[in-house]
Amino acid sequence: MSQRLSVSQINEHRRGQLLDLMADRHWDSILLYGQGWRKDYFRSLVNVNYSGPYAAAHLTRSGELTVLVTDPWDCDLLEGADAAVNYTADFCSALPRASAIAGLELMENRFLNCAIPPSATADLEELRRVKTPEEIECLRAAAALADRGYQYFADSIKVGMHEFELVAEVEGFLKSNGAEDNFMLIASGGTEVVGMKPPTERELKRGDSVITELTPCVNGYYAQICRTAVLGEPSKAQLDSFAIFKEAQQAARDLIKPGVRASDVARAQNDVFRKYGYGDYTGAKYTRVRGHCLGLFPDETPHILEDVDYVLKENMVVIAHPNTYLPLAGYMVFGDSALVTASGNELLNKAERKLFVKEI
Amino acid sequence: MKRGLIARMLPDEVFDARLERVRLALAERDLPALLVYTDVWRSNQGRFVTNFMPYWNRSLIVIPREDKPVLLCGLSPRVYPWIKSVTILEDIRPASKLVATLEQLCVERGWSKLGVLDLPKLPMEIHSGLGKFEIVDVPSNGITDPDEEEFSTRRVAISQARIILEHWLGRVPENIGELEREYRRGAAEDVVIRVKRREDGAYSVRVALELGGHWVKVTRATGPAEELAALREKFHEMLATGAGYRENLAGPQPYEPGTGRIFFLQVEHNGLYRGDTCASGEHPL
Repeated sequence: MSQRLSVSQINEHRRGQLLDLMADRHWDSILLYGQGWRKDYFRSLVNVNYSGPYAAAHLTRSGELTVLVTDPWDCDLLEGADAAVNYTADFCSALPRASAIAGLELMENRFLNCAIPPSATADLEELRRVKTPEEIECLRAAAALADRGYQYFADSIKVGMHEFELVAEVEGFLKSNGAEDNFMLIASGGTEVVGMKPPTERELKRGDSVITELTPCVNGYYAQICRTAVLGEPSKAQLDSFAIFKEAQQAARDLIKPGVRASDVARAQNDVFRKYGYGDYTGAKYTRVRGHCLGLFPDETPHILEDVDYVLKENMVVIAHPNTYLPLAGYMVFGDSALVTASGNELLNKAERKLFVKEI
Repeated sequence: MKRGLIARMLPDEVFDARLERVRLALAERDLPALLVYTDVWRSNQGRFVTNFMPYWNRSLIVIPREDKPVLLCGLSPRVYPWIKSVTILEDIRPASKLVATLEQLCVERGWSKLGVLDLPKLPMEIHSGLGKFEIVDVPSNGITDPDEEEFSTRRVAISQARIILEHWLGRVPENIGELEREYRRGAAEDVVIRVKRREDGAYSVRVALELGGHWVKVTRATGPAEELAALREKFHEMLATGAGYRENLAGPQPYEPGTGRIFFLQVEHNGLYRGDTCASGEHPL
């Protein structure tokens, strides 16, 4: 059953925000640039999943919106939209000039054949952090799909299966159920596992920790779930290790609310590891971040790190995940997407908050 | 995104030959090293010369004229063992700030100028950071032109793309997930599937499949047999005449409008589409 919601092609709230921004900065126009990896700047205003290599949205201060796509089939996605839509085979020549560009840093140099305008990337990222009710609905749908996807993952694992076969199963499930995309990493094994990566040909074995982060995208919005499963009866080390991750994640959950700093959310998680003598495993050598924001990109800023001084706001969506390596049982992951509410936070994922066990 | 099996499919000798092309190009231009930009979307050139394919983030591959390639890597050192297991790379350096790490490397090696593969296509942020160097555009023509191994890989990929699509074609709109599952079971690194419907219920399905670091595309349609026959005929006419919608599949980007030695040709007839991956001189791969 598809999770697809009825979502506007043009985000009118964002159009209003951008018009205010242009007035404030005395910009006559703004360009939102998209390519194959970073569709999010473009989709923050024109929310269609283009499949051409590039797309651009050009908004003038008077509110006129022109959309440029590079796959002829992408025009279909914008039928009926309040915008002029043009297909071009020559993106470089067709790209309109603008007073500022969001996504400028990623833009190919050949597209900037005149004086480089100011970047609007940071401005747009800040505008996107606080979600509208419609965006929150998309994130709820993505989180619900992540829950179902994880259950499918946990049900599918079996001894002898190659990691890439497991990913194929889960990808098929997510796409069959309305995901446009999915960001997913995986690892399997024991104390030799120091991080996640793309799937390999490794065969799953009895006693393995099988770890994943699933991040399905519904209507452009990514929600994430991180869980660890054990293939067979978990060892004492796996149970002891997981208990630390669960306590750390709960510490973050207890703290997240408007006004709290990202650094404090990271510190709350890391302090749990320090309490058990594993503080050394909270740094960059063993882990990347203690969480991040979610939305049109699966790894939105601010990151949850002890040196990130960003104050959380109501209606941001964030995942706190204390994922790291511990010598007890290797790399483990645990985390849920959470909506920052007026008084605290609401977990968008409803999957059981436990170490999953697959009986064999 | 790339969530499929990233594996080492080719022997060292293939990469030795590809790197030799780079070194010849550097020698012709009297350059000490070539910079190859790579990210999760634009990974094909980096994969061609080293088999490195980032599943996330971005990196710079530096190929010295007189030494082994160096990877300035945006990914965590925790995945370096995996990178080494699937690439020819031995020297991998952490580079959360790519340009700063590149500067360090250049100082270490005494380089004041660098070649950049397809310089006009370098992201602005990287390009603007190279002001301290004399940078020279090194076009990819002649360096990443498809060799026989690339043609072989693409033949495998397009064969897989066609067989699986044609098997599932009649059931696609409701079973896109099943189609993707089949491709990923076959070790696809990435898959992008699009469906275009006609008002009477007939439809066309286009699959972009990445396998072994190379993209192929194929489009097939459902509909009345006589229309499909006319569509096939039109496809072959267009192939012969050089007309029709084309995308370059052998450029730095996975695909973009244009043509190249390996290209995607798609034609339309009465709102139905047929497309295939072709090679100049060889025609449908």
